[in-house]
Amino acid sequence: MFNDTFFLLSAGLTLAGALGVVFTKNLMHACVMLLGTLFGVAGLYACIGADFLAASQLVIYAGGVVILMLFAVMLTGGSSDQANKFGIEKIAGMGNTKTYIFAGVSVAVISLTLLKIMAGYMKTFEQGELPPLTSTVEEIGTLLVTDHVLAFEISSILLLGALVGAAAIARPRKG
Amino acid sequence: MISLPSYLFLSFALFIAGIAVMVARKNIIAIMLGIELILNSAALNFAAYTRFANDNIDGHLMSLFIIVIAAAEAAVGLAIVIRFFQIKETIHIDDAAQLQN
Repeated sequence: MFNDTFFLLSAGLTLAGALGVVFTKNLMHACVMLLGTLFGVAGLYACIGADFLAASQLVIYAGGVVILMLFAVMLTGGSSDQANKFGIEKIAGMGNTKTYIFAGVSVAVISLTLLKIMAGYMKTFEQGELPPLTSTVEEIGTLLVTDHVLAFEISSILLLGALVGAAAIARPRKG
Repeated sequence: MISLPSYLFLSFALFIAGIAVMVARKNIIAIMLGIELILNSAALNFAAYTRFANDNIDGHLMSLFIIVIAAAEAAVGLAIVIRFFQIKETIHIDDAAQLQN
């Protein structure tokens, strides 16, 4: 009962946030809606027993990525001229009717393809007996330093490179 | 209620929303929001299959690596956006056309 309620709440938050990101006209609001979606996805992780994933999702996305995006919006927002250097009127930054029509067409094509793929699987799917939910932290820790140690080390190098690269790219140049 | 098809549907909805954001928006930061949605849908699929159709936990590790790579991608992408803003004074995607003309 509690699980079902929690799942419905998380799913609703996820879908509402995703719809908000698609349709809002304000970039700041879109970032906050994305935060709602990420919280919802963390709840969905928690519903299927992925406790470590839910915690990392909250810490990394809600604490890191969305704050970074909000800072970028605040550092770059504001100045938006309506015409480009040739004097041609630009499309609005958050899209207009024409771009939404393009988006609708591409979404229709992609969703029909995906539904065609998923339909047969959905019809024949039968759920077997599910194992009880247990803590996954210990197993993830063991796997990270045994089976997946190469990916683990490479991701540490990737993060270091991203840190140094981001600082090097964004630093202000003199002259 | 909590079943594989419902999770697949949620992941599908997130993916579709991400595609729509990426196509409809003309602001670089808004496009990056769409990329985050798509990465989340992929990670959700990995976790769902781990629970419902698999008895090992490797999918959780894949989701974890997706989260890590998304964080790195967001950091570098936003640095590029800020540098682009310093040079061009705009973050409109149509202004990033230096190689076109």
